[in-house]
Amino acid sequence: MLFAIIAGIITLVVLALVALVVLRRRSESAASKLVSKQQVNAIDTVGVVAEEQSTGFGTKAAVQVPTETGVTGTPAEPLRGRFVAVGVFAAAVFGSLTAKLWSMQVMQQAEFARKAQQNLYTTVYKPAPRGQVYEFGGEALVKNRSAYTVLAEAEVANNREVVTRLSALLGIPSAVVRQRILNASSGAQNTRVVASDASLRNLAFIGEHADAFPGVSCENRTTRVYPYGTLAAHVLGYTGTVSEEELKNVPEGRDIQSGDIVGKNGIEASFDSTLSGDHGARTMLIDAGGNVLEVLSETAPTRGNDVYLTIKGAVQRVADETVAAYVMGGVCTATSVVCLDVRDGSVVAMANYPTYAPESFIGGISQDVWEEFNTEKSHYPLMNRAIAGAYPAASTFKAFTAMAGLTHHIIDHKSKTDCKGIWTGFGEAFPQACWELNGHGEQDVVLGIANSCDSFFYDVGKGFFDHADELGLTAMQDYIQEYGFGRQTGIDLYGEASGRIPTPEWKAEYFKDAPEESAWQGGDFTNMVIGQGYVLTTPLQIACGYAGIATGTVYKPHLLKEVRNSLGQVVVEHKPEVLYVPEMDEEHIKLVRKGLREVMTINDYDRFVSEGVKYQVAGKTGTAEVFGKQDYSLFACYAPYDDPKYVVACVCEEGPTTYTSSIPMSLAVLEAAMAYDDGTLEKTFEPTHWTTQRADPEKLKKEQEEQYSEESEYYDYYDYSSYGEDFSYAPEGRTD
Amino acid sequence: MAETVNQIQTIQTPDEAVGAVNRTRRFKYFNFPFLIVAGLLALYGLAVVYSAVHGNEDYSFSRQAGGVVVGAVLMLVLFRVDYRQLSHFLVFFIIINVVLILMPHVPGIGVNTMGATSWVKIGPLPQLQPGEFAKVTVILLDAAVVARYGGRLDEPKEFLKSLGIMMIPFVCIMTQPDLGTGLVYIFIAGIALLVGGAKPKFILILLGVAAVGIIGLFTLDPILDNAMGHDVLLKEYQRARLLVFLDNSYDPEGDGYNLQQAQIAIGSGGLFGKGYMNATQSTLGYLPEAPTDFIFCVLAEELGFVGALGLLLLYTALLLICFHIAYNAADLFGTVIVMCVAGMWLFQILENIGMTCGLMPITGIPLPFVSFGSSFMVVNFILLGVVGSVWAHSTR
Repeated sequence: MLFAIIAGIITLVVLALVALVVLRRRSESAASKLVSKQQVNAIDTVGVVAEEQSTGFGTKAAVQVPTETGVTGTPAEPLRGRFVAVGVFAAAVFGSLTAKLWSMQVMQQAEFARKAQQNLYTTVYKPAPRGQVYEFGGEALVKNRSAYTVLAEAEVANNREVVTRLSALLGIPSAVVRQRILNASSGAQNTRVVASDASLRNLAFIGEHADAFPGVSCENRTTRVYPYGTLAAHVLGYTGTVSEEELKNVPEGRDIQSGDIVGKNGIEASFDSTLSGDHGARTMLIDAGGNVLEVLSETAPTRGNDVYLTIKGAVQRVADETVAAYVMGGVCTATSVVCLDVRDGSVVAMANYPTYAPESFIGGISQDVWEEFNTEKSHYPLMNRAIAGAYPAASTFKAFTAMAGLTHHIIDHKSKTDCKGIWTGFGEAFPQACWELNGHGEQDVVLGIANSCDSFFYDVGKGFFDHADELGLTAMQDYIQEYGFGRQTGIDLYGEASGRIPTPEWKAEYFKDAPEESAWQGGDFTNMVIGQGYVLTTPLQIACGYAGIATGTVYKPHLLKEVRNSLGQVVVEHKPEVLYVPEMDEEHIKLVRKGLREVMTINDYDRFVSEGVKYQVAGKTGTAEVFGKQDYSLFACYAPYDDPKYVVACVCEEGPTTYTSSIPMSLAVLEAAMAYDDGTLEKTFEPTHWTTQRADPEKLKKEQEEQYSEESEYYDYYDYSSYGEDFSYAPEGRTD
Repeated sequence: MAETVNQIQTIQTPDEAVGAVNRTRRFKYFNFPFLIVAGLLALYGLAVVYSAVHGNEDYSFSRQAGGVVVGAVLMLVLFRVDYRQLSHFLVFFIIINVVLILMPHVPGIGVNTMGATSWVKIGPLPQLQPGEFAKVTVILLDAAVVARYGGRLDEPKEFLKSLGIMMIPFVCIMTQPDLGTGLVYIFIAGIALLVGGAKPKFILILLGVAAVGIIGLFTLDPILDNAMGHDVLLKEYQRARLLVFLDNSYDPEGDGYNLQQAQIAIGSGGLFGKGYMNATQSTLGYLPEAPTDFIFCVLAEELGFVGALGLLLLYTALLLICFHIAYNAADLFGTVIVMCVAGMWLFQILENIGMTCGLMPITGIPLPFVSFGSSFMVVNFILLGVVGSVWAHSTR
């Protein structure tokens, strides 16, 4: 820039000098040569007398005729200064123009050349069809459908006639048509989408009357199809147009263009890079009117890879039916069930209710529906409770705390607690209740689990507190975490909650503003030992933990079975990954498994198992009290007892009794998983049977209401203020 | 009479002296440097126009070439015409100017394009722009006015009277309206007054009044627009152009689009250009009005800084020759005519090239000898002819 200014000034000065020199030289040569001219001029004026002349417009006075001439004798001689003024002005004009041109053409040439290139070449991207998603058996759960898209060039917006015709043909208000054409979000030169799913009839009409629709074109694009509606909605997730934020954080190796469809949730999101194909690109020479003059290069879009899931469609269908039936039947307000194959961690079914139809996100979800999906009233249907819902583990935790007690020799197979209904292990001033207020009598570890006797476990918790000197205050937590609690399992879905296993460190941090609450106390152990207090788990964690109990190994839960390319070749195959191998003694685990089996027999929960089932089921119930809500019931189970294959975990929000909600639900899914292997499960994926024989909502609701009236007295007992203030009994605590 | 006799006696060899002065030129009507520069400019212009209109059906290159031929013939004819006779036709010039400029308003022959009534179409003749031709008569009018004062325009009353006459064509052209041509008229008047010997004080006062007037216009315009509810003084597009001028990056997709694309064309040309006929900005339509108002961009894009500098040098040569002819003209009328012609070209060069690179606001003023437009080309050649006439009838 500085150089340009200097160059300009120099040019200016040079031009001014040239002008001056030329003028000077002219006048000098004229003066030297033309002495005689002066004389002749004198001759010319012979006899001329100054006269008053008419100015030509009304006056006579003040008109002057030149009476003398200059040195050179030209009439312009006296006006020399005026010539210099015009000359300087001319020099200034040429100087500044030269300087400006120098600055633009030489100094800033690269920048302008870049802009000129930008004008010329345009690359238009054609979205690639996304890969499809298949269930275990090879049935497509997410497919593509070709949709005829009506596109218009930007200038069509100014053509009233064409807009009116499009409006009439497609049945879209003309203002909306115009709006869509004007929407430049897909780039200035790209054609704009007017209708994304036009009928073949309309398409044919536009094709036949191309003259009436200048600038309008039709393209065959693909859109998502969900053949089975809401089936596995939370696993599959949904897609949507890429947001500005996502455009800013494009993962490496992924090519996202503005206006693309990307996975927003579920498998669509976590395998977005796998499912998305490569754009077709067409680089063109474009004129100012947007006309394509020459296509410089063109590549066709390539379809994304297909993802095969471990989800077994038929089992998933049963799970979806079951959760829907129980919530719609009024048994609970929301529920989640997850079924894992304990042998490799594959997720066989994962169902939540309320759910949603991924289809409602095609072409953009309406604001109303989106808002409705995010209200408390609708119970957040978009939430995948199986991985994102954090619940108190309640009594389902007892299998792990029993193992912790046995492993750390707090208890052994001979340890016994005499349950009287109220446990006073920390003194008479700090009573804690067993759910069975009448008392269980003498309980050992197997009976403690089978009866879910809180008193027995309070002793386990107290044992850990009493042995804190040798074991430290986190021995129990450390052990429990070996089953995957308190941290994300790493399932191949986004949005997983990590849950929480409270430790003294965590408590100090959590209560840092209330130091009097922050000390770790015996009550923290006795609450944790029954899965209450500050314990939070996800249904998936519970399922993983029970897989660990059942087999001794916790596999990383996963949904991916394999990835296949568009030719059908397997390009990625999932390998089972061992997450944890909890420390366990063979004798100890046998006791716990025996307890879990006796849960089914002592309480006669086996009555919920279908007739003709040859294998045995082991399981554990749980009832969690949540502040301000009805109790949540939980159930975790696996089968067969002697050779575990599948584990199921279920949480029912506000479905307080386990045997009207979580137990039958879990068993339905577990039996379906087992039946699938036997080949006896009906291979239909259509979730049409909203009620099953097992879950007659009317009957269940009635049963539950009866149950509640019986228990009303029991609820009155839970007056939290009756406990000592310094005793950190969590208000959420109650187990059955 | 005694004095005059004395004067004659002082000349020793009168015949020789008179002969030396009035020595017949070898070619009385051919000032070769002048013709060469003019010819080069016209050819350069034609070459650039050819590139700019190539493949564009809206413009006909042959029409432009025809304009050059007609103009050249007129120029050569005008060389022989003794311009000195014209100084007596002041009233006639006023009338012819008014008639010419107001001609497009006559129903039946006037043509209204783009909101301005600037064109006429008479019978089989090509569509013409009388306002362009009026430039010639405006120059003659203004020169005739100031020439009567013999280089001393000292009386305020006379100055104002002259100014008043010179403003007639401007007022007429603003009825079309055509601000670009109007500004050219004003600039011609200014040069006529300056070269014609108006008191420097008057000219400075005039400049001051003009500056105050322009500032006042821009201040009052929005107020008046608000009060009246429609455009009163400046039109919306004129305000926008002014904004673009003040901030070159203003609204690059809308009002600033022309300037943006013009600058891209010039800047991307670089030092040596993209090569003749290789301008992408104009051939692909990014550059608006490429063959007319933005022709310089085509030149600068194809031939680069070197080509642009070549054009500027040709202009400089032409103007220097004009200055020389003006300085040596036989009378003040001739001097003022030539200086007005040169000044007009200078103003058009400044405005046209200046607007394409953002130094001046955008106005529809074409580039002499280069811009497409046969009327414009013919007028420029007529002006060359007038300048040639002044040269031919001066003794030096």
